[in-house]
Amino acid sequence: MENSAIKIDNLTKKYKSLVAVDNLSLEIKKGELFGLLGINGAGKSTTIKMLCGLVKPDSGDAFILDKSIIKDSSIVKEFISVSLQETSIARNLTVKENLEFYASIFALKDEEKTNKINEIISKFNLNEVLTKKAKNLSGGWQRKLSIALSLISSPKVLFLDEPTLGLDVLARRELWKIIEELKGKITIVLTTHYMEEAETLCDNIAIMVNGKIKDIGSAEELIHKTNSKNFEDAFVKIATGGNE
Amino acid sequence: MKSFNRVLSLTKRNLKEILRDPLSLTFLFALPLIMLVLFYFVFSGLTSQFEIKYFAPGIVAFGGTFISLFMGLLIATDRSSAFLTRLYTTPIRSYEFILGYSLAMLPIGLMQTCLFFLVSVLLDSSILSWNLLLVILASLLITILFIGFGIFFGSICNEKSVGGLCSILVMGQSILSGMWFPQEGLSEGFIKFMEVLPFKNCVLILQNIMLGSASVLNSILIILAYTIVVYIISINIYSLKMKQK
Repeated sequence: MENSAIKIDNLTKKYKSLVAVDNLSLEIKKGELFGLLGINGAGKSTTIKMLCGLVKPDSGDAFILDKSIIKDSSIVKEFISVSLQETSIARNLTVKENLEFYASIFALKDEEKTNKINEIISKFNLNEVLTKKAKNLSGGWQRKLSIALSLISSPKVLFLDEPTLGLDVLARRELWKIIEELKGKITIVLTTHYMEEAETLCDNIAIMVNGKIKDIGSAEELIHKTNSKNFEDAFVKIATGGNE
Repeated sequence: MKSFNRVLSLTKRNLKEILRDPLSLTFLFALPLIMLVLFYFVFSGLTSQFEIKYFAPGIVAFGGTFISLFMGLLIATDRSSAFLTRLYTTPIRSYEFILGYSLAMLPIGLMQTCLFFLVSVLLDSSILSWNLLLVILASLLITILFIGFGIFFGSICNEKSVGGLCSILVMGQSILSGMWFPQEGLSEGFIKFMEVLPFKNCVLILQNIMLGSASVLNSILIILAYTIVVYIISINIYSLKMKQK
């Protein structure tokens, strides 16, 4: 487990008769940018929600940096961070106040807090909107701020649930650049519906169908395995079992 | 220390959310103030219950019901948004959330009381005495009770239904506290019913302290009992909802 950032052992989550995540086992290396792909309802978001402590698994366990998400959930919360599908910001606070608020939650010391906030402002080019209330920002800026907030605590493991959903091409490319800069420094688990995004960013990709992993590998490997022309075709073949 | 910092951050954030919302400011401060001035000028000569010494404490308690409303709205809105979902993935504990919400509303309650009594003194300087300091102190207990109601409503309702449920509290405070309507002619049973509810007792505590009457202990004990029960229920429901999320 030394080189493993996340180790998932037979994780299962059921909602009444629906099995959202079915006996999932998986290992993600430290510093890896790992993509979870699947059609709607495949179990990607439920998997992320279990890993970050929002949903309790029915059975199985997962270890983030060797800490159990069930027994050590409060320790796990100290070194993970999440950016959810929906923008999760304090709407009546300014951009700067949002950054300060999140920094205080993780009890950063004054100097460390100032340095980290300045670093994030510069990385995400937030200077021009710093004094604007979050609710008055455009959708793109809100999404950017939401992701910026997830980095304020210098997490060791970052979960990005559809981070570029609804963004225009330019904003998406800008976010890709930021995510790429994080590659290798922290472990990132990303879910997305954009094939190009997964192909460009992810070291390895797992394709989920009905709560199970259907296939796993780099984009190139998956294309090669399925004899496809491109990654989107490979995804469709895997997701449909070649019946498309 | 980490816990203290988290509670402080949550408190600051919640306070800013409330104070930056024009609707909250209108209902928390402007509406009760307009009622105070209006009813004083129109009715104080006609009936004694609108004399400042009786009516100002009623307005403070009436203003408290809006603390419940906006506390409930803030919690219900937070609960339905991804903002709180994300905070649940951070090291913040459920009791820190409750403290963060509660402490944010305390200064608002204090500001309400000071403002309402300041205007009351301007309208009728005869109420000015050292007892007012005790009244302000006692009003904190009433604020805590209404914060508890707000946490309860915010935990069980969504943002659409919280307003409806809190309006029951506003109505209760208006009708069952005896501040707007004379109690003469009411049946003994109904008056007894009013006396076991918190609404009339909130007003009685403030009125009696202001008038220097010693008979406040019973009302204080009733309000304390309600506060403890409401808080125990609210904390449990909030924690349960947090786990369910």
